[in-house]
This record gives sequence, C-alpha cells and structure tokens, in this order.
Amino acid sequence: MPSINPLPPKENALFKRILKCYEQKQYKSGLKFAKQILTNVKFAEHGETLAMKGLTLNCLGRKEEAYDYVRRGLRNDLKSHVCWHVYGLLQRSDRKYEEAIKCYRHALKWDKDNLQILRDLSLLQIQMRDLEGYKDTRYQLLVLRPGQRVSWIGFAMAYHLLKDYTMAIRVLDEFRKTQSVKQYDYEHSELLLYENLVMREAGLYQEALDFLNEYNEYLLDRLSVNEIKVELLLKLNRQEEAKKIANNLIDRNPENWAYYRQFEDAAQISCSEERCKLYCEKESKFPRATTPKWLPLTFTTGEKFRSVADVFLKTSIRKGVPPLFVIMRPLYNQAEKVKIIEELILGYVKNLKDSDYFEANCDTSEEKEPATALLWTYYYLAQHYDYIGQTRLALQHIDLAIEHTPLLIELYVLKAKIFKHAGDIEESVRLMDEAQSLDTADRYINSKCAKYMLKANLIQEAADMSSKFTREGVSAMENLNEMQCMWFQTECASSYQRLGKWGEALKKCHEIDRHFSEIIEDQFDFHTYCMRKMTLRAYVELLQLEDKLRMHPFYVKAAHIAIEIYLHLHDHPWTPESEQNNDLDSENLSAAELRKLKRKQKKKERKAEEEREKQLAEQKRKDQQSKKSQDNDLDGPKEEELIPEELAKTDNPLECAIKFLKPLQLLNPNLIGTHVVAYEIYSRKGKLLLMLQSVKRGYQLNKDDPHFHVCFIKFLLHVKGVKDLDGGVKTVIEQEVNKLTENKPINKINQEFLDRNSSSLPHYFAGGQMMYLIDPSTKELAVKLATSVSSNIKGVTRTTSIDILDSLCKGDFGPCEKEATDFQAQCHNLFPYATAFIIPANNNTSEPLSNGSAS
Amino acid sequence: MDVDIDRNGETTKEPKSKKHDSGTADLEKVTDYVEEADISSQSIGDAMKAVSDQQKLEAAERQVKEKELTKVKINKDDVDLIVNEMEIPRTVAEKTLRKHKGNLVEALVALTD
Repeated sequence: MPSINPLPPKENALFKRILKCYEQKQYKSGLKFAKQILTNVKFAEHGETLAMKGLTLNCLGRKEEAYDYVRRGLRNDLKSHVCWHVYGLLQRSDRKYEEAIKCYRHALKWDKDNLQILRDLSLLQIQMRDLEGYKDTRYQLLVLRPGQRVSWIGFAMAYHLLKDYTMAIRVLDEFRKTQSVKQYDYEHSELLLYENLVMREAGLYQEALDFLNEYNEYLLDRLSVNEIKVELLLKLNRQEEAKKIANNLIDRNPENWAYYRQFEDAAQISCSEERCKLYCEKESKFPRATTPKWLPLTFTTGEKFRSVADVFLKTSIRKGVPPLFVIMRPLYNQAEKVKIIEELILGYVKNLKDSDYFEANCDTSEEKEPATALLWTYYYLAQHYDYIGQTRLALQHIDLAIEHTPLLIELYVLKAKIFKHAGDIEESVRLMDEAQSLDTADRYINSKCAKYMLKANLIQEAADMSSKFTREGVSAMENLNEMQCMWFQTECASSYQRLGKWGEALKKCHEIDRHFSEIIEDQFDFHTYCMRKMTLRAYVELLQLEDKLRMHPFYVKAAHIAIEIYLHLHDHPWTPESEQNNDLDSENLSAAELRKLKRKQKKKERKAEEEREKQLAEQKRKDQQSKKSQDNDLDGPKEEELIPEELAKTDNPLECAIKFLKPLQLLNPNLIGTHVVAYEIYSRKGKLLLMLQSVKRGYQLNKDDPHFHVCFIKFLLHVKGVKDLDGGVKTVIEQEVNKLTENKPINKINQEFLDRNSSSLPHYFAGGQMMYLIDPSTKELAVKLATSVSSNIKGVTRTTSIDILDSLCKGDFGPCEKEATDFQAQCHNLFPYATAFIIPANNNTSEPLSNGSAS
Repeated sequence: MDVDIDRNGETTKEPKSKKHDSGTADLEKVTDYVEEADISSQSIGDAMKAVSDQQKLEAAERQVKEKELTKVKINKDDVDLIVNEMEIPRTVAEKTLRKHKGNLVEALVALTD
C-alpha cells in the first residue's frame, strides 16, 4: 500500500468502520469514527481519513465542506489511491466526468489493478464515449477477471462500438465456448442474437444466416429470429424461402406494413393486379385487419382506386372511425386521388340525405345506414376541405355536422382547428375552450386547449387550464417542467418570444435543453444494468439513441427559438424597458390590445398568487432536498436556477447561441435551417471562415432553399466588401467563393436562382429581397416579385404571406407603405379569416403591422 | 493495509444498495461466484492469448501512426490562426494541420467543409 501514512491496527480498524458506514449509508456514525481518528493529534492530518470524511459529508449534502476535506486529504497523501478515488467519486457526483476520469487515472497509478476503480473508470468512459479508453480499460478488467461474464461481454462490446467487428465476433466466440447452456436460457439466447447483430452489421450475411440455423434451438425470441431471417434471405437473393417466412409473419401480425413489403419483394410482384390479389387473400383471411384493406389504396389508380377507396370509406364511415381522415391523408399528395375521394364523399352526402343509403339506387331490402353515417361523412368532408385550403366549405360542413349532433366534442375540436389553419387563433381558442368544457375530465382535450391558448399567447390561461391535471401544491409550470412536458414548453417559449419576453422564453428553451442533458445523464445506470441482464441488443440501441438524442424535433425547435432570441439580443441589447415596450407585435390589433390590457390587470392579481405559490414550492423543494440527501441517489448536483432577467441580460448572446447551435451542426446537418442560423450567428461575429463553412454546407445541402439563398447572397456581398485579409484566409475565401459562384456576378446568381424556381412565392420573395439588396434601383420589380400572389403561383400560404408583409413593413424593400397596404388587402381577400391581414377600422395605413401569429 | 473503497473480498450481506454503483459491485460479486465455476481455465487461456496478441498489435500500429503525424512540422502562427478563426480546440487545429502536411490553405478548406 503506497499510503505514506499507514495507521496502526486500532485506528485502521476504525478506518474500516468508516468505509463500512459509508457503504451502509450510516453517515452520522461514519463521521463519529472519523472524528475518533482525527482527534488523535498524531493522525489529525491523516489523508485517507480526511478524504473519507469529505465523501461522507458529501452524502449529507454538505458540499463545500466535502470538497475542503477531500482536497485536504489528498494534499496530505498524494500517493494514496483511496484519496484519488474518493476525489473522483466526489467529482462524479457533481457530473464533472472529465475531471473524475483524471482522478481515477491518478488512483490507478498507485494501484493499477484495483478492480473497483477500473470498473468506475470504464463506466465513465462509456458514458463519455471515450471508446478507445473504454476498450483499454475493459481489456485490463478482462485480464484481471477472466472468469467473469461481464468482462468478456464488455470487452467484445468495446470492439463492436469501435466497429472492429472481426475482433468483437472473435471475443464473443471465444467466450461462448466457455459457456454451458441451461434449459430455456433467455440470457444465452440474447447473447447469441447480439453476436448475430454484430455479424449483420459487419455485412456477413451468409455467416449470420448459418449462425441462426446452427443455434436455432437456443434462440428463444422467435419473432426476432424470423424477422432477421427474412431480412437476410432477401439480402442473399433467396426469395422463395424469404417469401415463406414473410407469409408466416403476416399471419402472425397482419397489421405490420413491413411484412407486406418484404413479402412483395420476395415474391417479386410489382404489378398492381398481382398485389391486389395478395391483399385480397389476406383480407379474406383476416377480415378485421385494416392494413390489407388500406395498402391497396397506395398503389392502385383510376377506376380501380375508386372502387377500393369506395369500399374502404364506406366501411369506415359506417363503423364510425374518427381518425379516418388521418388514415387517408398520406394519399393527399396525389391530386387524382384527392379528386376521386372528394367525388365519392360528396356522393355519400347526397345519397345519405336523400335515402339513408350510400348509393342512389340501392337495393332497399338491405339495412339502412346508421344515422351517424351522415355525421361522419360531414366530418370527413370538413377535414378534406380544410386540408386543401377551402376554409369556407370546411366551415360550412363542420357546421352541418354540429347541427346534426350538437354535443360531439370532436366536431368543436375540428372547427377550432379549421380556424387555426385559417389564421384566426382567437376564435380557435374560444371553440377549443368550448370543446374542453364538454368534458373537463378528458386530459387530451384539456391539453389541446392549453396548446391553443399558448398559440394565442394566453400563457397564464394555458397554465391554469393545465393545472386541472397537474399535481397539487406546485404551480402548473413547475410541474410540467418536472414532468419534462416538452410540447408545452416549446409552445410556451414561442409564446413568450412573440410577446417579446426574451428572458422568459430563454428560460423555457434552457429548461428543454436540460431535459435532454438529463436523459443523457440517465443512461448511466444502464451501463451496468444491461450488461448484467444481457439485454445487449437493446443496450447498443440505447447507446446509439443517446448519441443522437438532440436530433429530436423538440430540441431543434427550442434551439431555433433560443438562437433567434440571442441574435435579437445581440442586435438590440436588453434594457429594463425593452421587456415591457416591445409588445409592438400586437399593435394595431384591437383584439390583441384588449387582451394586453386584460393581461396587465390580471398580472397584478396573479403576482400575489404567484408569490404564494412560490413559497409553497420553495417549501416543497426544501422538503424534497432533505429527503434526497437522505437516500442520496445519483441525482447529481442541484442545478443553477434559471432567472429570466439574468438570461436576457447576457453579455455575450452570440456565445450562448453557439451553445445551442453546436448540437444542431453535429446532429442535424441535414436540416437547412441549421446552416442558416449558423450563418446568422457567425456573420454577426464577423468570422469569415465560419460564415464560409455554413454557406458551403448549406449550398451543398440545398442551394435552392429560399432562406439559405438569402444567406448566400448576403455572404457574397459581404466578401466583396471585405479588405485587409490575412494571406491564408484570403486565398481560402477567394478559392472557395469562386468554386461556389463559378465567377459569375452576384446579380446573375440571383437571377439564376429565380429562373430555377419560377412561379414559387417563397423563392420570389427571397430572390426579390436580394434583388433589392444588390441594386436598390430594382425596387419596383423586386416588390412586384415578392408580392405576386396570383393563382398560377405556387406556395402562396398564409405564413409566407405574413413573412412577406412583415418584411415589407420592416423596410427590407426600402420604404413601401403603399405596397404593404395593397399587399395586405390582397392577402385579406385570399385569407379572409386570418386576423393578420385585417386592416384596422381606424385606418392607420402608415403602419400595417402584422402580428406574425402562429400557424 | 487494504482499504479498497468497495472492500473487495469481504462478504457483505447488505441487500440495500449503497453509494452509487458500489451496490452493483456487490451484485456483480454474486454473479462472479456462479460463473467462475462456469469458465474453465484452459479455454480462458486460449481465448486470452488470441485477445492479447491482437491488443499488442494494435498498440504498435497506433504508435507508428502517431509518430508519423508528429514528424510533420507545423507553424505556430498557422495554428493560432486556425484556432481563432474556426473556434476549435488547439489539439484539433494541430491535428488537422498535420494531416494536411502543414498546408494552411488545405487545412482551412477541409475545416470549412
């Protein structure tokens, strides 16, 4: 033992008792024993005892003292692996993994074969994805404990994760030779399937198939085995066998689309008649299954489609399937099918009204359709019209439905949705609230209502609505955060952003970001658990999922909001007044103003209430904290509280934005928005090469994206104006810009963009905007392009039009009040329900600001 | 003086989980016992040999590669420029520059891809 200060037997016994107490969580007694050693003058500075005292204090929640003691202990005994290990554990409990790894490494210097430290180290390495290091540590563990199952599995997995499949398979093979198999040994079965997974990833299809056959009797997860077999047989071009197994799989679960696809591949049928035959067979065998009825809708056309759709729609309407439209929606990308469906449904309406049959000349001896058939037909038709943008007809049919059955919740939900799509969020909230009031015990409808309220910027109302279902004693906001309820939080962030409450919005974004960190943190427990339980396939899947976690749309949304706000804060630094006065978005909107007044009144009342709630929550938190420190689980450090004002006051908004940007760049390089915001950030930082990087990446991904095009042109203009560049940077910029532009002048690039994407409003808007930027004398043409909303133009949506109106008002095309007003009037005609285009009665034409309201 | 944190080798009858994963360490000990009987020492020897040979080979390869990279001479000013312009850690900047044989322009082009 390298400790410089070994204790005599009596004290050593005491020290062992400290360790025991620590393990058994008897921290108080542990401290007592430590005191007994430390009060002895001779051992007052005994390093390992001091360190252990610190670790024990840490478990009692006395963090600062803990660090003091552990550091002091370490200083007194730098060669003790105990002190280093303890320091590592302390760091790990604070989630400082990098630091903890360093400590463990020091500890191993003094005791290189210490199993516990090696295990702890390997856990941190896999958590941090230091795969090379993990492999080395697992090797040492294997050498030290070759008799242990986990040693082998961990070592093999290290190679697997490093994509060294040959070695991984070899290790697993060697290990399996040493195993004796019990009867019905599920763990062994999982081990075999894991090895098989590695083989497939290595592309060893034949070997993998032979493997499955060889060990067939030991493989207990029969479903997986069959699914894998089909996949392998198809890869090996053994269609006949694949067909047989795929057929069995369909019989086992006739609702799985993948099985049908595999069967078709294996049977090599591609013409629509043969396919129909297959689905007919399966339909008669499984009359209650939906999939064999639905899939033919995707590949049939013309009259055949009409007859299949006819049967499908009739059965569904007769039965009353509320999500029928959602089921049919994937077909709506084909205009021909949309038309046929519309004709069919219109026919039903007419005939049901006349005779209670779907068909006009029906055999009257047959049973009549139920009364609800007409209702669901109206319901479908309303959704159909809403989807294709026919708001008036949609509303007409939903009203007919409501007349037919006045108290059906779904109808009000749909009506609310139609108004939302049409751009009248206030009316939409009113309707959703009505729907909600019809069944206050239904959480789905309650959540929907809260969501719509958030879209209308009614944040407090939304929280109140949610509070009907959240835990009592805590504010709804807090509880929803605790529950990681991210749909609420992203919507809420958007709401605050629209209201110009930057700090509050940022708080929500950071909360969401923390959820993701937490989820990544949570995988820690699985490193040991999965290895022990042999759920290796699931474990590897988990690791892969965690690596890509921030790809999730919730993160992307929150990150974009945060970045937008940070960019705004960079351009307009926060001041105490700015938070109150920037409700300019809602100016000129009488309804919005009313709302604002109402909100202000309510605010005062709320403040008092919030104060009370806060106190309650504080109390609760304290209680929890003390409880937590008692059972002392791996819950990590208390996170710093997020204070909205502090967040908005940040000194370097761009650096904050970059923190949200990094995961996007790493995980979502396929979203053009990533490169657009990256450009916006780096252009404000003036980092030319990083601007180039975003432009190059965006260009490669989709140079025809309107938002990206704006960045591209701005970049070219910027580069043109820059002088005094460093030699190296200058060469790179020149060389790369030439590659992108092929030496064409900027206005030509813009023109080519417009030509490539003719008759598309978003592209005309971007191109027009840039045309004006390049040469202000083109203003007239530029505005004309951006505001061309005639019927032959594609992409005329409400949101695009709002963007254009905003842009006109902001002066992106120079001063153009008249153009803006005209455009607004045009849009009002196109989207009569959208509040954004209603020109206020007290006609103040100088400021036709839209409210950029939610979609 | 044997003062392992997890007290290896002692038999603890402590079903409750302790601090962090020392609880799991205990559970692993339980499985150890069963399995050590399972794996015969002969087959371990063979298996270990195959594994350790590979391990040595890899280490040697890695050393050669690293040596080659460090041979490349790079300009400190270039590294500074890359770090500053691309906002990346110094180690990454150095590595990229070495990979491109010290050619600043090539390194920057690669980094902006």
